[in-house]
Amino acid sequence: MVSIKYYLSQNSIVGVCILYYVLMALVVPGFFGANNTWNLVYNFIPLLILAIGQTFVILTAGIDLSITSIVAVASVVGGYLMSADSGLFSSPLITVLVGITGMVLAGAIIGLINGIAVTRLRMPAFMVTLTSLMFFSGLAIWLTQSKSIYNLPTLLVDAPYKTLLGLPYPVYLAGLVYLVSYLILNKTLVGEWIYAVGTNVKTSWLSGVNITSTIVFVYIISGVCASLGAMIYTARLETGSPVMGQNVLLDVIGAVIIGGTSLFGGKGKLQWTAAGALLMTMLDNSLNLLGMSFFLIMIVKGAIILLTALFNQYQPKSLVHA
Amino acid sequence: MLSLDNIRKSFGPVEILKGISFTVRKGQTLGLVGENGAGKSTLMNILGGVYEPNEGQIQFNGNPYRPARVSDSIQQGIAFIHQELNLFPNLTIMENLFLNEFPRKQGLFKYFIDQKKILEQSQMLLKQVGLSVSPFTRVSDLTNGPQQLVEIAKALKGQPRLIIFDEPTTALSQAETDQLLQLIRKLKQRQVSIIFISHNLDEVKAISDTIAVIRDGSLIKVKPAAQYAKSDIIRDMVGRDLEQFFPERNCVIGKLPKLQVNDLNVDGKNQLSFEIKEREVVGVYGLVGAGRSEMARGLFGLSRVYQGSVKWNGVVYDKFKPRQWIKQGVVYLTEDRREEGILSFKSVLENVQLASLHQFVKAGFGWLDHKGILSGVKEKVKATRVKYQTLESQPVSELSGGNQQKVLLSRWLMTNPGLLMLDEPTKGIDIGAREEIYHLINRVVEQDSCVLLISSEIEELLGMCDRILVMNQGRITATFPKTDFNRSEILKYALNATKE
Amino acid sequence: MSTLPLNISRKAAEHSTLLLLILVVVLFGSLGEGFLTMRNFVNILIQVSGLTIVAAGMTLVLITAGIDLSVGSIMFLAGVVSGKLVDGGLSIWLAMPAILLVGAGMGFVNGLSIVRFRIIPFIVTLATLYMGRGLGLYISETRAVNLPDSFLAIGSLKIMGIPLPVIIMVAVLLVLHLLLTRTPFGRQLYAIGNSRVKSEKAGIRVSSLLLKVYVISGLCAAIGGFVAIAQLGAVSPSFGSQSEFTAIAAAVLGGTSLFGGRGAVFPGTFIGALLIQTIQNGLVIINADPYLYPLITASLIFFIVLIDSRHR
Repeated sequence: MVSIKYYLSQNSIVGVCILYYVLMALVVPGFFGANNTWNLVYNFIPLLILAIGQTFVILTAGIDLSITSIVAVASVVGGYLMSADSGLFSSPLITVLVGITGMVLAGAIIGLINGIAVTRLRMPAFMVTLTSLMFFSGLAIWLTQSKSIYNLPTLLVDAPYKTLLGLPYPVYLAGLVYLVSYLILNKTLVGEWIYAVGTNVKTSWLSGVNITSTIVFVYIISGVCASLGAMIYTARLETGSPVMGQNVLLDVIGAVIIGGTSLFGGKGKLQWTAAGALLMTMLDNSLNLLGMSFFLIMIVKGAIILLTALFNQYQPKSLVHA
Repeated sequence: MLSLDNIRKSFGPVEILKGISFTVRKGQTLGLVGENGAGKSTLMNILGGVYEPNEGQIQFNGNPYRPARVSDSIQQGIAFIHQELNLFPNLTIMENLFLNEFPRKQGLFKYFIDQKKILEQSQMLLKQVGLSVSPFTRVSDLTNGPQQLVEIAKALKGQPRLIIFDEPTTALSQAETDQLLQLIRKLKQRQVSIIFISHNLDEVKAISDTIAVIRDGSLIKVKPAAQYAKSDIIRDMVGRDLEQFFPERNCVIGKLPKLQVNDLNVDGKNQLSFEIKEREVVGVYGLVGAGRSEMARGLFGLSRVYQGSVKWNGVVYDKFKPRQWIKQGVVYLTEDRREEGILSFKSVLENVQLASLHQFVKAGFGWLDHKGILSGVKEKVKATRVKYQTLESQPVSELSGGNQQKVLLSRWLMTNPGLLMLDEPTKGIDIGAREEIYHLINRVVEQDSCVLLISSEIEELLGMCDRILVMNQGRITATFPKTDFNRSEILKYALNATKE
Repeated sequence: MSTLPLNISRKAAEHSTLLLLILVVVLFGSLGEGFLTMRNFVNILIQVSGLTIVAAGMTLVLITAGIDLSVGSIMFLAGVVSGKLVDGGLSIWLAMPAILLVGAGMGFVNGLSIVRFRIIPFIVTLATLYMGRGLGLYISETRAVNLPDSFLAIGSLKIMGIPLPVIIMVAVLLVLHLLLTRTPFGRQLYAIGNSRVKSEKAGIRVSSLLLKVYVISGLCAAIGGFVAIAQLGAVSPSFGSQSEFTAIAAAVLGGTSLFGGRGAVFPGTFIGALLIQTIQNGLVIINADPYLYPLITASLIFFIVLIDSRHR
């Protein structure tokens, strides 16, 4: 009992999530049920994957505003490589594999560019990723002349609905991203360095941390996560679209902030981000079921961001003295 | 003008001021000298309203004086010029002077700054301090000296009757110092009283009417400056032997140098050369600003090195980077624990493991051996006797200064260093923890490492070192082997590069 | 090493945006028919007025080392409110105070949350970004609000031959420029941006100043939004979205630092906004692929931020 209490005091957002879920299940008709649960899952997973990438960046006290443009570029690149209209490969399996590789590469390259600009060129992360956002969104639109790409292979388009052991494929993808991220953050050298750099760059430099590669690494991770998110969006919408994911940036940053990860760096956990993303998804979904229009939902989301920030402000910093 | 009567101040069980009494008359300059930690800053903080004395009275201008905060002292006519300046580099001199109370225009434009008035007043103030630059100059374009003068001009705006200068010259060049002293003489003529705190005895003697020496929280002597010989001042500052405990080392210094520094240039002017042998502790003494930290920081790769090379373990290096040095077994314990030492809201574990993580990488992907780290950290914090509640969840910022320092020492010991450069390792640390740190240093040395010990406390260096280098204005001015240790001689070389 | 080339390169860096603007004007002038005409310059000034006003308010916020992400939503909200009011029969002149009230109110909420509850500006204004847009969509019922002709009439109104949007822009620039350079308030903003702690020590009333700055930013966003819709004639549901980024870009191009303590609305932010708008305009005139606009603009902004960070 004590340990659960301790856990929740350290991870209050997880408690809030559970509480909200139970409450909505009781109050909102249609919330608790197979259909809606699938709905939740499908909306939650791409958001989660993007928010995980963002968490890496924010942990180093940076920010990545370019993720939506990465989603767009990846979707367009993947769409081009895989569309029957391009007809590049005959085997569907090869087509999809090449497509996915292309998407991930696109994300990694944009992340690499961001990371190099922040470290080697010593530009502020906000401006770097802001110009990336403008540039790569523009690039995606220019490459396609603002047209969507159709005729994607069925292998890809059906994938989100295929199940393995009762769970759809995207759940496995998200699980894999979460697991790998967890291992990186908690079990590896670069994971420790990410937290150290975010906590105090000077101390890290004095203590032999390789700051450049740490920061470049987190932007690459963020780019790859964005391209994985793009994969799910692309498959579900059955199109490669240059305006894909345009509105998701604020939800992603909001999810990370609600989770409690500090914008000043060094403080944050994956489970917080997961809970934040889940809460965002549930808010959308439940208020929608309650008949609220999406603009009211936006107002509520804004209020929730403010409230959690306020709450995190007045939370006791450590339990040792409590 | 100002008279102190039996001022006492304790922090917990430690008595910092043991009954200080003196007076400063109108238009008089009092030079206040004493070693680091003698109690000068505490005394000044009491005058400034930062601390309250436990006992004793202060009279200022004929009235009892008990400031509750900094603004009180300013209001009553006492101004402070600290080493740290409260200036905004992005604004002009003029704006800095009037920032919190700009004079405004009358009538229609009453929301606008009265540029004419502020310019006139600024010019007047700058003239008073003898700064002949345009008031429109940005403070960031000024060097330390003129910035100091701007700070003084700001103080003069309030028409103070007493100005306290706390180490005003440490960051100044010789010419700038002369200018400052000239200004103080002028202030004196205008019947402003002055307390001048400095380590530079020549300056103190040159400017003061009387000199007061503080040692260990007591006033040792107050004497007219003209009759107080420099050698006497030094003797009074240092006093008798402190019965401090410095543990013995059981080891023999190696024959050959382990570290050789050749013509290292860290300030663009001076070249530094010295060596350290195996199992040797070399001390570096000097006043604040003498270039001690700069030398170590340059060597470790934290600041620019103009030229020079370092031979370490037989290999010559001329490029310096912390990461590479750590792998070669050279480490640097910073003086600035808070800003660049600890990871403040992280645990003891996370703090101690930081510099040695690369040693625990198991093959591939940077996979860490967390068990190995944990047992290594446990072993080190036990050896350094860090007192903590939990290893993995208590933020290190909750520990005392001494324990934080031991955490940082543990961090470096985890890397198995061959050379430890320790920059003021006992600054702001209580007696108990100090002794533990001394023991630790000895144990490290007994295990064949060597140590470069930078300290402002002569006692500490005399007690711990096999050799002492003295620095002054960026140069090594003297080297004392253990057999020649002489407190006054060392102090003399630190205070003045030339022999008297 | 000689200091002369260094000096020149630093001077060039300081004025890189202006140099680039001149370059762009020369380039488009030689490429495009009708670019170098008085009429086109006036056009550019009208087009840039909305952005300039919003970016000028943003500049004040950035000088204090803050950020205001909510300006796009405020522009939208102000547009929707005024459109609805005029639609409901109110005269457009009476709708003006309502617009200002919306801007000031949103700014006040931002400022209060920042100084009273000490939440960082990024999070506060991100939240009000959501809330403002949500509120606007609620009022507009998520449909585009078609504005009465009186709006377009105002947008094309000329006083003594000068278009009204330009007059409003000049007025806002003048007021904010004087505020920043000539009043205690303005000078103290620079101090706060340099160091909040030192400012408090120096006796500056930081909280009250910050509150005012966010109110000003909100007001500017509302006015800028009004000026922009007066040219468009309608408020689409996505109006103003991502305008916060363009406004920040304009300010940063004009030499304002994201880290506070440095910046100016004139010439700084004005030149920054002008550069962005001139490129857009020039690309239209030379009939460039419209999809290339953001690529070119983003590259130039990147380039200027790069120069700026090299020299610091």
